[in-house]
Amino acid sequence: MQPLDPAVKTVWTIKLAVFWAVLTVGTLVYDVVQLFDRSRALPFGLLPGLVGALGMAITLVVPRLRYRFWRYERRPEELYLERGIWNRVRTVVPLRRIQHLDVSQDVLERNFDLGKLIVHTAGTRSSDVVLPGLRIDEAERLRDELKHYITEDAV
Amino acid sequence: MEGSVPASSTADPAPVRFARPRRLHPRSLVQRVLKSLPPLALALAPLVMRGSDVNTWVMLGFLMLYAVFALPLIVLQYLRFRYWITPAEIVIHSGVLTRRKRSIPLERIQNIIIERSLLPRLLGTSKLKIETAGGTGTEGVLEYVSLDEARDIQQLVRTYQQRRPDASEALPAAAPAAEKTAAPTGEEIFAMPFSRLLLSGTFRFSLVYIALIFSGLQYVLDLFNLTPEEITDWLLRGGLRPYAQVAETSPWLWGVATVVLAVLLGWVTGVLITLTKYYGFRLWLEGDKLHRRHGLLTLSEGTIPLKRVQSLILRSNPLMRRFGWYRLELQTMGYEVDQQGYQIAAPFARREDILKLAARIRPFTLPESLTPVSKITIRRTFVRYSLALLVPLLPLAYFFPEALWGLLALPVLLYLAVLQYRNHGYAFADGILYVRRGVLQQYVWVVPVDRFQVFYGMGTYFQRRLGLRSLVIDTAGAGTFRYPEIVDVEAETGEAFLGLLYDRFQARFRTTA
Repeated sequence: MQPLDPAVKTVWTIKLAVFWAVLTVGTLVYDVVQLFDRSRALPFGLLPGLVGALGMAITLVVPRLRYRFWRYERRPEELYLERGIWNRVRTVVPLRRIQHLDVSQDVLERNFDLGKLIVHTAGTRSSDVVLPGLRIDEAERLRDELKHYITEDAV
Repeated sequence: MEGSVPASSTADPAPVRFARPRRLHPRSLVQRVLKSLPPLALALAPLVMRGSDVNTWVMLGFLMLYAVFALPLIVLQYLRFRYWITPAEIVIHSGVLTRRKRSIPLERIQNIIIERSLLPRLLGTSKLKIETAGGTGTEGVLEYVSLDEARDIQQLVRTYQQRRPDASEALPAAAPAAEKTAAPTGEEIFAMPFSRLLLSGTFRFSLVYIALIFSGLQYVLDLFNLTPEEITDWLLRGGLRPYAQVAETSPWLWGVATVVLAVLLGWVTGVLITLTKYYGFRLWLEGDKLHRRHGLLTLSEGTIPLKRVQSLILRSNPLMRRFGWYRLELQTMGYEVDQQGYQIAAPFARREDILKLAARIRPFTLPESLTPVSKITIRRTFVRYSLALLVPLLPLAYFFPEALWGLLALPVLLYLAVLQYRNHGYAFADGILYVRRGVLQQYVWVVPVDRFQVFYGMGTYFQRRLGLRSLVIDTAGAGTFRYPEIVDVEAETGEAFLGLLYDRFQARFRTTA
């Protein structure tokens, strides 16, 4: 069982931080607009403060937990994934069921040399099983290795 | 219909004829024009009804626009449309402003459906829909070709598919005449007699269509400047008036009458809808393909290759179960979106007939009893239902204390949770997974081991605390909301069961491959 690359924690943290920062600034703008409205229900700064604090907590805790529970293993006949903080999901993807494979990398991931492996099967629920947080060369190696298992069977 | 195909000698064998670019049937021009008329009429209707001098000019303007743009567009579309069939693919070139070139590899084609609604049937043409795997819907449509041509295409594609592209030179010059007859040659394995059809309609109670009809009615009334009251007055004139007056004096009676009327209307529309959709329903087994035809106004016929069938589903509701009626659906890949990948193989039949029919499609014997999940699921379901009730109810009760009467629904929810538990079960026997779930809409999934795709074992925080798991076996073409899931099975049993399923899956392929 392998963990993901630890750098993925930073990527997740940055993404969450940006999301929550935008949200906090949004509520702050709202608060400033309402500053001179006498019928305001909440005192100034309470809402952005709460949102900011919640965001901070989530940004600090969630990536670590997510990282701790992410495990994967490439076994001889299947790809095995384990993940989830709240709902813990274990997925077995039989290699013979792989339809095609993608490696994707966004701007942030590129800066950390990370990539995602996306495994497509004919299943509806799992038409894309995503394995994030791999070194990009590792993701590509895995893709090239799994590529050999793609069968010609039509569904 | 014979000889109506222009510019191509019908004497040519099908492979040669279809290898050259072809146009659609010229009568499709007539149909396109006719089809464009209702929207035009709808757009013009308000102007006609509330006519004044100004509106007459607006209307003329509309008609001019239609004549200058819409009509030439229809003709150009017809002229630009070309299709041809090679041993490897179907090619369709179309489009006036944006030109589209589409080629559909034959090996990806799952089904070719011939659909004939009322107008094409009068004109002897049909719509041909080409459906593929992985596509979200219909990949290519030929609107319209003659019926003979549609059948030829169906036959040609089938022949090409069976022979593989490399062997195509060995094709016979033309398909034998016998293969082109109107009725498929296979063995009929299911048919709906008219009486059965009527009966099945009575189980299909629907208020949705009534709502649609009434909203349509509202639009028409608006056009004529009528109010619903005027209509009711007109309907209740003469003999019915005394009854209406009696009813008006008692609100209870009025209410009961409304409910009875609504139920009656719902029932009648249910029967009518079933009639139009499944009239003359027939299912043939022809070699390794199922051939299906049904419909009153819109006649549709299509083929489902047996090897494309992923799983079988027995569906029913409590009323149908009470009288022993079921419905058989086949889960396939990449079919029409409105059917969500589920093809109806038998709309309404006795349980034993359904089982017999299903066994023809995929041999299996439904186990006598299914393994129940953990009883704790009753508690979890009840808590979930109660939360769904209480979360909106309690704030409401803060303002309107009467809302607390809603708490009376709690025992009903408990009963539902118990029923949910009793209806849920699973089993694995002879290489087939059976999962039954649902109360108001009950599904029994029959999933052969060779159709398994991906295996999931899941446990939310609460489930893990209670020592429970949920299992999902994903299959191709499964619905987003309805899929075979085993919910709240004991952790150890669940893990073992998932392991067993996976072992059998691997073993299945080790022995054959």
